[in-house]
Amino acid sequence: MPLSSRFRSARLWSALVTGVVLAACSSSVIVESKFPSPLVEALPVKMGILIPEELYNYIYTEEIRDESLWTIALGDANVAMFKPLFGKMFEETRNVDAVPLTNNQYSLDGVLKPTIEKFEFDIPINEKNKFVEVWIQYQLTLFEPDGSMVVAWSVSGYGKHELGHSKEDAVQRAAVTAMREVGAAIATKFAQQPQIKNWLAEKQHGATADVGVATAQSEVTR
Amino acid sequence: MEPRLTSVSPLRNRKSLVRRLSARPWLLAATLGPLFASCGVETRMEPYKQTDAVISKGEQLVVLARKQHSNHEAEEGFVQCISEALARGDGRLEVHATKEFEDSMYPWFEPSTAPLSTDDLSRLLERPEVMQQVRKTGVRYVVWLDGSTDRVASGGGITCAAGIGGAGCMGLAWWEDDARYDATVWDIKQVESAGTIHADVKGRSVMPAIIIPLPFIARPQAAACRGLTQQLKQFLTSPHGYGAGPEPGIG
Repeated sequence: MPLSSRFRSARLWSALVTGVVLAACSSSVIVESKFPSPLVEALPVKMGILIPEELYNYIYTEEIRDESLWTIALGDANVAMFKPLFGKMFEETRNVDAVPLTNNQYSLDGVLKPTIEKFEFDIPINEKNKFVEVWIQYQLTLFEPDGSMVVAWSVSGYGKHELGHSKEDAVQRAAVTAMREVGAAIATKFAQQPQIKNWLAEKQHGATADVGVATAQSEVTR
Repeated sequence: MEPRLTSVSPLRNRKSLVRRLSARPWLLAATLGPLFASCGVETRMEPYKQTDAVISKGEQLVVLARKQHSNHEAEEGFVQCISEALARGDGRLEVHATKEFEDSMYPWFEPSTAPLSTDDLSRLLERPEVMQQVRKTGVRYVVWLDGSTDRVASGGGITCAAGIGGAGCMGLAWWEDDARYDATVWDIKQVESAGTIHADVKGRSVMPAIIIPLPFIARPQAAACRGLTQQLKQFLTSPHGYGAGPEPGIG
């Protein structure tokens, strides 16, 4: 066999071996789950929901030292979580593409934009730790329909799951728990945030005032 | 005369030991007897019921894990084991699926929002939508499982060798697992705690290896599941005189 051909063959084999080793040293997780609708009373506002593209396609990658390259895709789970959550939290929701709203045809009271701020996870390396842990922080930004920001609220969730036979499965379950925690925090604490509380009161007051003006006008015309 | 140095392979040494042991059954029994005696499960159950409440026909219970602790949590498999065991066999009870209950009550039974005391539960049930949903599920009792199974000790070692003539292992490994769980029963109808059952099951496993490893494995978690299930069935069906706990002022 000529030397160059041998060299080419060796390169091919080394590439193949490297590929196999790399494939064996990488873990990918697609977080998927059904998220339940929250059991809460709907807030009396019409909310526009702006899901940015990066949330739809959120992929977290991290190379863990002496371990492997992890790829965790949260996009589908983000959509699966926010849709039923916001659908139940507000009297009415509409998907919007941008803020400010060019023509507020649905008379929305505000626009809510969720984004992921941080994602962290930890896999046990010794026998004493038996839980995979995931921590996620989202930011919910509330805008007026004209684009002015009301508040940017950071909300986080923590989830852990026992390390069973599959690390990937444990990461997926811990991530789902963390996301459920985020959903729980949003559903139960959103209206309690001081700025949001004031904003809600303003909207309520505005609605009452509008009704009052409309009633007065109808009485005048009578 | 100078002592003669002979070279004998460790494997041959071990084989001759086995031959010697098997030729004398009493020696084998004396060697392995203490090992078997030390292997086993030690169970302690402490039930304490503080009400006369029992589960009626048509009422359900749900088994949930306490997830507030950072370093331990009742294992998913253990919760499932208790749920399934309560729903079958003699005196089986109507058990609501854990995941289904958590989903239908979302977000009120998540790790950060779940009620930690009956006062919290009382406040939670003041929400009309929550109360309505609880009624819809038909669940009257919530069994909170808290605890975990942990390895508390281990020791010994086994070495294995392989040669042209064959392969074999020699040595002794042992370990001890401790399954400690509390099952606290809440009565949603009366909004009170009905009592607690504490289970502590220690399991010692040994694995002697004479050519081949012989595992004698104790399963304390499975024993804790069986024990707690039996106790919970009694707890929820016996109105009086069940695990009344220590008399006040004694001890």
